[in-house]
Amino acid sequence: VRCQHYPPVRALQASAALRRATDEHKEPLTSSSQQHFGSPPADHQPEQERHGPSYTGQGGQESEDYESEEQLQHRILTAALEFVPEHGWTAEAIAEGAKTLGLSVAAAGMFHSDGSELVLHFVSECNTKLSKLLEKEQKLVQLGEAEKKPIDEFLRDAVEARLRMLIPYIEKWPQALSVLLLPRNIPSSLSLLTSMIDDIWHYAGDQSTDFSWYTRRAVLSGIYNTTELVMMQDSSPGFEDTWRFLGNRVADAMAMSNTASQVQSTGEAVVQGLMGAAVTVSNAETCRAVR
Amino acid sequence: VRLWRCRCRALLSRPAGAVRARRGLAAGPEMHFGFQSVTEEERREKIYQVFENVAKKYDVMNDSMTLGIHRVWKDILMHKMNPCPGTLLLDVAGGTGDIAFRFINYVRSVRQRQLQRKLKHHQDLSWQEIFESYQKDKFNSLGDSQVVVCDINREMLKVGKQKAQHLGYSEGLSWVLGNAEELPFDDDKFDVYTIAFGIRNVTRIDLALQEAYRVLKPGGRFLCLEFSHVSNPLLSRLYDLYSFQVIPVLGEVIAGDWRSYQYLVESIRQFPPQEELKAMIEDAGFFKVDYENLNFGIVAIHSGFKL
Repeated sequence: VRCQHYPPVRALQASAALRRATDEHKEPLTSSSQQHFGSPPADHQPEQERHGPSYTGQGGQESEDYESEEQLQHRILTAALEFVPEHGWTAEAIAEGAKTLGLSVAAAGMFHSDGSELVLHFVSECNTKLSKLLEKEQKLVQLGEAEKKPIDEFLRDAVEARLRMLIPYIEKWPQALSVLLLPRNIPSSLSLLTSMIDDIWHYAGDQSTDFSWYTRRAVLSGIYNTTELVMMQDSSPGFEDTWRFLGNRVADAMAMSNTASQVQSTGEAVVQGLMGAAVTVSNAETCRAVR
Repeated sequence: VRLWRCRCRALLSRPAGAVRARRGLAAGPEMHFGFQSVTEEERREKIYQVFENVAKKYDVMNDSMTLGIHRVWKDILMHKMNPCPGTLLLDVAGGTGDIAFRFINYVRSVRQRQLQRKLKHHQDLSWQEIFESYQKDKFNSLGDSQVVVCDINREMLKVGKQKAQHLGYSEGLSWVLGNAEELPFDDDKFDVYTIAFGIRNVTRIDLALQEAYRVLKPGGRFLCLEFSHVSNPLLSRLYDLYSFQVIPVLGEVIAGDWRSYQYLVESIRQFPPQEELKAMIEDAGFFKVDYENLNFGIVAIHSGFKL
C-alpha cells in the first residue's frame, strides 16, 4: 500500500495523482515498455520528498517544480514514440502519447506543433543508450572477459549499433531528418551529433590532443551521415547493403590515414634525398675547385 | 466634456483601493465598472445590461471597431490551440459563438486529412473492410470533438444559436447558460478552456480562474484571449486616441448606444497587464503559463496547463 502523501506546496498535483493511480495498475507493464526506451518512468517518490518551501518568483516556478515539469515532458515524449510509426513525428503522436499517460490531448500544446521536441528527445535517448552500450563493452574488456577490438572494427560496430536503433522508425525517419534540419533545430541537432561522435572516439581510446582530434571527428561524422542516408533507401534484407557500405567507408578512412602517414614519410625521404644530392654536388664542386 | 470628466476621475482614483479592484478581488464593496466605482452586485448588473443591449449588434461592432482584425486574432488563437479530433472544448463567455465555429471548422479539416491518410494506407484491405471503415468514419466527421458554449447572458446565447442555425452548424455544439465564477460542470471534464474577450467582464477573476482549473482534465489547457496593455508609448497614445474618440462615436452611430462602448474602452484600461494576469493564472494552479502579444500588446493570448 503506497503512503498517499499530499505535499502542502504547489506540485504537479494532477499528473502526480494520475501517476499514483496508474502505477498501481501498470506495474507488470512498465518492464516491457522500459526495454524499448531504456529510461525508467520518473519515480514520484523522490519528487515528493524534494519539495521544500514554495514561492513563486517573478515569472517562474521554484526549481523543484520546474524539474518535475521537464520530467513530465520527458515521460510524454517517451510515451509518444510508440505512436510515431502511425502518425509520424507530429503533434498528433505527442497527443496520443499524452493520452496513454492519462492526460488530456491538449497537453501536446506544451510542445511545438511540428514535432521538433519529439525528434530531439529520441535522438538524445539513442545517444544515451549508445553510451551505455559502449561503457558496458569497455568494462568487459577491462575485466578481461572480452578482447579489445581493432579500431576499424570498433568504429564499425559502434556506428552499426547506433543506426540499428533507427530501424523501428525507419519509414518516418526521413521526416525526422528534415525536422532536424530546420534552422531552429540546427544548433541542438548539431550538438547532439558531435557529442555522439565524441563518445564513440572516447571509447575507441582516442586521446589525441593535436589537430587529428578534429579530423577524426570530421571523418566519423561523414561516415555516420552518409551511412544514415544510405540506410534510408536500403531495401535489402536486414539492411546488409548498408552494413557493407559502412564497412567500406571505415576501411577507406583507415587506408586514408595510412596513406597520409605514408605520404608524410615519403615526403621526408624525398627531402632527405634532395639534401644529400645537394651536399654531394657541393662537395664535388669544392673537390673540383680544389683540384 | 463627459469623456474628460471620466478620465480625470480615473487619474484621481488611482490609490490602493482601485489597484486591488483592478485585480478583480473583492476589496470590500468597491469595484470598478469602467472608470466608475461600483459595488460587486451593481457591477454584475451593469455588465449584464451592457451585453443585453449590444447582443444584436455585437458582431457588427466588433468588425467596425477592430477593422475586422478580431477575426485574425481569433484565428491565431485557434492555431495556437491546434486541437486534434476528439477534443472537448469549453468556450466561456463565448456568447455569439465565434470561437466555437472556428473550432468546429478546424477540427473538421484535421479530421479530413486524417481520413485521407488512413485511406492511403488501406491499399491492401479487401473491399468489404474498406466499405466498413468508410461507413464508420462517414458519420464521424468531427472525430467525437465537442464544444460547449457557456455564457451568463441569455441574449448573447440567443444570438449565438441563431447564427449557428444560419451558418449551418449543428453537430458537436451545445449552448449552456452559466456563470464563469461558478460553472455548472463537473470536475475534470474538458480538454481545453477558452475565454475570448470575456474575462475582462468577470467580476471575480480569481474565482473564474479557479473554476477553469477545476473543470479541466489533468493535462488540460487554459487559453485566454484578451485586450491587454501596450508598452510602446507612441502606439499607446494612438491607441488611446482611437479608443476614446472613435469607438464610442461608432457605438452611437452603429448600435445607438455609446455608453456601452464607453464602458468597453474603459474596462480595457482597467484590466491587469500581461504579467499581472500571468501571475494570477499561476496562482490558480496552472503551470507553464505564458503569454503572446498580438499587435504590440493590444491583444494578448495567455496559456496555461493543468499539470
